[in-house]
Amino acid sequence: MNDLLEAVRLVAAPDVMIAIVASAIYGLVVGSLPGLSATMATALLVPVTFWLSPIAAIATIITASAMAIFSGDIPGCLLRIPGTPASAAYTDEAYAMTRKGQAETALGAGLWFSAIGGIVGTLSLVLMAPLLAEMALSFSTFEYFWLAFLGLMCATLVARSSPIKAIASMLLGLLVSCIGMENPAGTPRFTFGLTDLLGGIEPIPALVGVFAVSEVMRAMVTPEPPKLPDRKFGSILAGQWKLTKKYQWPMWRGNFIGVIIGVLPGAGADMAAWVSYAMSKKFSKEPEKFGTGHPEGLVEAGASNNASLASGWVPSLLFGIPGDTITAIAIGVLYMKGLNPGPTLFTERASSMYALYLIFILANIIMIPLGILMIRLASQVLRAPRAGIMPVILLLCAVGAYATGNNLFSVLMVGAFGILGFVMDRNGYPVAALVLGIVMGTMVEQNFITSLIKSDGDVLPFFERPVSAVLATMTIGALLWPLGVWIWNRTGGRRLPAQGAAE
Amino acid sequence: MLLSDRVTGTVLVVLGGLAAWSGSRLPAVPGQDVGPAAFPMLIGFGLVICGVLIAFGIGHSFEVPEEEEAPAGRSSFYGLRILVPPALLLFYVLAAEPLGFLPTAAIIVLVGALVLGARLILALPIALIAPVLVHLAFYKLLRVPLPAGILPAPW
Repeated sequence: MNDLLEAVRLVAAPDVMIAIVASAIYGLVVGSLPGLSATMATALLVPVTFWLSPIAAIATIITASAMAIFSGDIPGCLLRIPGTPASAAYTDEAYAMTRKGQAETALGAGLWFSAIGGIVGTLSLVLMAPLLAEMALSFSTFEYFWLAFLGLMCATLVARSSPIKAIASMLLGLLVSCIGMENPAGTPRFTFGLTDLLGGIEPIPALVGVFAVSEVMRAMVTPEPPKLPDRKFGSILAGQWKLTKKYQWPMWRGNFIGVIIGVLPGAGADMAAWVSYAMSKKFSKEPEKFGTGHPEGLVEAGASNNASLASGWVPSLLFGIPGDTITAIAIGVLYMKGLNPGPTLFTERASSMYALYLIFILANIIMIPLGILMIRLASQVLRAPRAGIMPVILLLCAVGAYATGNNLFSVLMVGAFGILGFVMDRNGYPVAALVLGIVMGTMVEQNFITSLIKSDGDVLPFFERPVSAVLATMTIGALLWPLGVWIWNRTGGRRLPAQGAAE
Repeated sequence: MLLSDRVTGTVLVVLGGLAAWSGSRLPAVPGQDVGPAAFPMLIGFGLVICGVLIAFGIGHSFEVPEEEEAPAGRSSFYGLRILVPPALLLFYVLAAEPLGFLPTAAIIVLVGALVLGARLILALPIALIAPVLVHLAFYKLLRVPLPAGILPAPW
């Protein structure tokens, strides 16, 4: 109880409050601009967090990412261009509703069910984290190796792309993480004699390059999105209560799937939205209405992607294994602020954890009024000329990368990863898998090599402990899943959607 | 930059082979069976396998083709515009120290905006205002030591 009061005091501090409101507005605006994803919004926030207090730093990341995931629905609904990849699953549906003259209902559903999903996800985080923390205390390097490997495998189950290309992206990320001397033996590897590479590739410049610079590059060769016509919106939340009652089951299913996918290390909001939309269509009483402007899938997937956002923090806080690319950034910030992830975080820094829950709930509550405001201002915000925004983003990439290490070499890295990200994305290699490979590489290797040394080069102990056996089964299952889908499709079964892969 | 699966697959095979080969030449830790060589070799072999599979088009059926977005009727130089952002970052690396942050940033924003098709009436004000705001935020608030160069900021 004392911890809870302490947490309230921490969150109510003026700097935290200002951080929440400012990052909420920032997240809403960036998320709504097509091409600027929630991950990018978060990555560009990192240099700002250096200067904030630990709680305020975490608050900015939580708030900005939650807002950006919701506000990605706005251009999706009005222009049929998803603002963030997490909205792509139901963009067509939302746009169909707009064409039927139900833009308010579609946007309102996005907002209302995003907020509900976020709160349910937070509650699951509150309930699950302490329970899992007990278990995590008994984990050894074997379990950590499997967990990290499972995270990497889940990251390769990306919707709408070849699983082999995804695995190749992930391996490429692992290879990048080998650079430098951050390995168990401390041997410099792949440094090509450059002292700048001795310390390894920092995840932040890589992230900024892959997600932001490559987006600026894409803008160079794509036509500008159409301008949004000025329009008056009716009441945004009218009818949402009716939808909540009517689609109660889909909503809960969406929340549940979102939570499960979020907890899985490596799988995040985009995955949750795709799976939930597919589930909704499969279990609906009126599947023929899907794609014609039917709110059911919107309800389920909108709740799902925000639920996964909160529960994605579970593996991040407990094991330091990111649930998605956003929490991959958050983990870096947690380390920087002395809140090192691990099971002891919940016993030793309980008040900070309560504060984190409170920020999540607060962010999802203020999302409703601020979101309504954002919807009403959307036509103004979306009118901002792309030719004016993109160069500034590029400048922020350069300065942000420079700020993380105060050296110009990271700016060069940002450019290199921009090119790599652009080429990979263009050819169907999912970049999120690359990023998670880079982020988790050191951890996977550390636990893999330590385990091998402990077992004297024997593979059997990797499967002997009960928890590690379960995790190993899940990992191998994730590896073989695409093969199963492929065989199922070949043997004349009904065509399964490839995006069902993470179920 | 749309390359065929054969090309990207082959690149991966070569890269994986190189990684495994140079990994195998890393010095071992005395008295240990597994050392710094194990992980790069494993990744290298994995990449070789993936590269071969991709080159033979396995797993292609999972992909959803992206709509071709390059507008027709442009010269072949149009595609080279994607190199502008990395080139501007390179320019930042080279020019930030001698020129200073403010002029470098102004040039980056101006060139970027013009290449994206902004008219001067939009590009010039942004190129003048944005660097100042970024400098204020990062230099004053976040205490990032941005280089002063030939045009030190008055604050």
